[in-house]
Amino acid sequence: MKLVFYSGGYPQENQKIDTKLIKIFSKKDLKLTFIPSCSYQSEEEYIELIDQYTPYGVKKIIKLNIDAPYSNTLKRIAFQSDIIHLGGGNTFYFLNQLRKNGLINELREWVHAGGVLTGLSAGAIIMTNNIMTASFPSFDRDDNDENLKKLNGMQLVDFEFFPHYKNSKRYDLELMEYSTQIKNPLYACPDGSGIMLNDDELSFIGKVFCFFNGEKYIVHK
Amino acid sequence: MSQATRLEEKNLQSYNRLDKINGDHPLKEILPDGYIAYKARLRKGGKVSYFNFDLAKEMGLLPKDHKNELNDLLIEKLLQTFSIQIINEYDIQNNKIFPKSEIKDGTYMATRYLQLQHSDKIGKNSGDGRSIWNGRWSYRGKSWDISSCGTGGTALSPATSKFNKFFESGDPSISYGCGYAEVDEGLATSLMSKVFKNNGIKTEDSLCVIEFKNNISINVRVHKNLLRPSHFFLYLKQNRIEELRTLIDYYIEEIRVLPGWERCPSSSKKYDFFIEKFCETFAEMAADFEDKYIFCWLDWDGDNILMDGSIIDYGSVRQFGLFHHEYRYDDIERFSTNILEQKRKARDIVQVMEQAVESVKKNEKQTLSNFSKSNTLHNFERVFDERKKYNLLSKMGFSERKIRQILKREPKLVSQFLGCFQYFEKLKSKDGRIKISDGVTWDVIFNMRKALRELPHIFIVNPKKITPEDLLDVFKAETTKGYDLSISSYRKRKLNEFQFYYLKLVKKVAKLFQEPVEKTLTQMSVKAQLLNKAHRITGDAVTHIVQLLMQERRKMSTEEFNDFIDEFCFFQKEELTKPGEQKSKHPSALMIKAMDILIEYGEGI
Repeated sequence: MKLVFYSGGYPQENQKIDTKLIKIFSKKDLKLTFIPSCSYQSEEEYIELIDQYTPYGVKKIIKLNIDAPYSNTLKRIAFQSDIIHLGGGNTFYFLNQLRKNGLINELREWVHAGGVLTGLSAGAIIMTNNIMTASFPSFDRDDNDENLKKLNGMQLVDFEFFPHYKNSKRYDLELMEYSTQIKNPLYACPDGSGIMLNDDELSFIGKVFCFFNGEKYIVHK
Repeated sequence: MSQATRLEEKNLQSYNRLDKINGDHPLKEILPDGYIAYKARLRKGGKVSYFNFDLAKEMGLLPKDHKNELNDLLIEKLLQTFSIQIINEYDIQNNKIFPKSEIKDGTYMATRYLQLQHSDKIGKNSGDGRSIWNGRWSYRGKSWDISSCGTGGTALSPATSKFNKFFESGDPSISYGCGYAEVDEGLATSLMSKVFKNNGIKTEDSLCVIEFKNNISINVRVHKNLLRPSHFFLYLKQNRIEELRTLIDYYIEEIRVLPGWERCPSSSKKYDFFIEKFCETFAEMAADFEDKYIFCWLDWDGDNILMDGSIIDYGSVRQFGLFHHEYRYDDIERFSTNILEQKRKARDIVQVMEQAVESVKKNEKQTLSNFSKSNTLHNFERVFDERKKYNLLSKMGFSERKIRQILKREPKLVSQFLGCFQYFEKLKSKDGRIKISDGVTWDVIFNMRKALRELPHIFIVNPKKITPEDLLDVFKAETTKGYDLSISSYRKRKLNEFQFYYLKLVKKVAKLFQEPVEKTLTQMSVKAQLLNKAHRITGDAVTHIVQLLMQERRKMSTEEFNDFIDEFCFFQKEELTKPGEQKSKHPSALMIKAMDILIEYGEGI
């Protein structure tokens, strides 16, 4: 299984993660499908993504909006990509749309069949066990306007992911408290850092912190 | 004086500018019998439901740095200016007395214009039936006409014409013609006109909606010039050539300051320039309406449209999700034209305008049939055809520069693709004609906007033909039934032809601009997505979104309400958001609800 978790930030902040992602592939001429969390302003995100990945030789980048009707033909072609990238945004809205379209299972199967799934912020959270971390911190959280009760994500890894982390007391207090309520470690990444799972190998890029059993650890500097 | 106090002082002074909107208008002097003058009185109990701050600033009614917030003084001024009701013939006949303090100085025009639905057919008693002109506002060399809809029933209303008597404003026994407007109508107009304006479609603007009890409102609209072709045709029909000349001269002098009119001669050749411009405007407008799926009930009387091809009166205006070319609005006494007939009607308007212009030039009324094969009408066809090609290339996602080149170098190929595209766009269901809530229609089966949205993405991955079955899947609308999707040998041939022309155009452009095909397609994909967005507003959607707003606005301040309108209109924009233009990267909760409605009714009427 090959997964990449981006926290966020500007494309230039994520170059190290991008380079590591591209190294997974031995071939050139890569195809990438971008699934934005929402159609709203998704063209601007699409252009940013093209600017981000084109320098690495990814020249075939397409977009699949899932909160609007799309054809089976386009979906089939999207799933023929080498990389599928889940965008950032409101995690609850995104998860709801993925579920409505039956894409949670399809993406999971696609990953197990060898596809490389990457996610940024909300997209990365959805790849984990559950999306509770989208509710933190209380002062800057995603609104659950969808009123989702079941918050389980794709369950592809046995850790939880917290993007846009800022190394501060305000964040730490909430994340330490939350880590006492869960079994798995919670990895917190500031913008520009991330995590990669390449088969059995888990690697950290940039600063990564771990919250576990009410304690905070530095995993990678 | 502190900066804040100075700002406040500046704002207060600016509010007094509204006093100048007092019914005065140059047309009053120019055509003394082109209107009925009404005294008006203040109408109490109004509240400002919507105010278009951007427009008010553009017009110089408010300073540019005025906050987009209403305050008590501004509200009071707006109500004093626009919350008015005419003292009509019924009021006078029935000796209705109004306190002097509530009667406005000056008079307000209800203008006369031709309306086919009136029985006399020459415009003796037709025109502004429930509107008055608030006046003319000028600022930094630009001018705007301002009128209000819902200010009471005039003697030009259809009810008075039909029953030959005057009615009390708001008389519940008559609906259309009672002189009142409704809040949902005002909000729908505000929303649609702002969306259209943002996307380069010429339209009236909505300045303000003033709400009263029982869903009644006054809807204030603005445009550079609120004259309709029907204002002119009235004099032509009545054989009043001098008045016709006066009005045409007035219009030309008004419009010659605008871009595109710099070359307008001052001699009598100005009439030729005028009709040439008018023809081009209406030909482009007709093509744009067709290609943007805008249903606007046109007829040769030139009533539902302004002289510069701007939309006015949103009552029956729709933006379709699909090319519903069999839809006809049921206006009780008659059915409307359909979207394909709009071109013919626009052409008819041009023909009548040419008759008017030639009558003025020759100082004698000319026969309409003299112009049925005129150069002007040939020009109309040419401009219309060119615009159709341009619009298709634009919807495919090509940039302006690429469109110019491909039109110059491959006109035949573009025509071939256009023919093929229109074939699929018009295909109808086997279900036949059906009755719907406000008219009749016959469902089309393909969503060609979806096709234009998806095809660049599909071909980025592999720029080769896909199977006819896959292409049909891309074309099909959400509601299309299986029995409409069979692939006959003819349809298969057309499907292959479609992708042959599409890919040929893309490859020609890539070669011409010396870039990889996937780069051309990637660029196309962005524009095609914006122009053919799935969340594009339709007539059905706007009705439901206004219903949603009517519920939600109780919980919202006027500023929050305005913010939502702005957020919605930005989302509807057919171009990329500029940095700083959008307040948030993520949609608000209300916007999400609106987005659901847009999808639910996205293929509707």
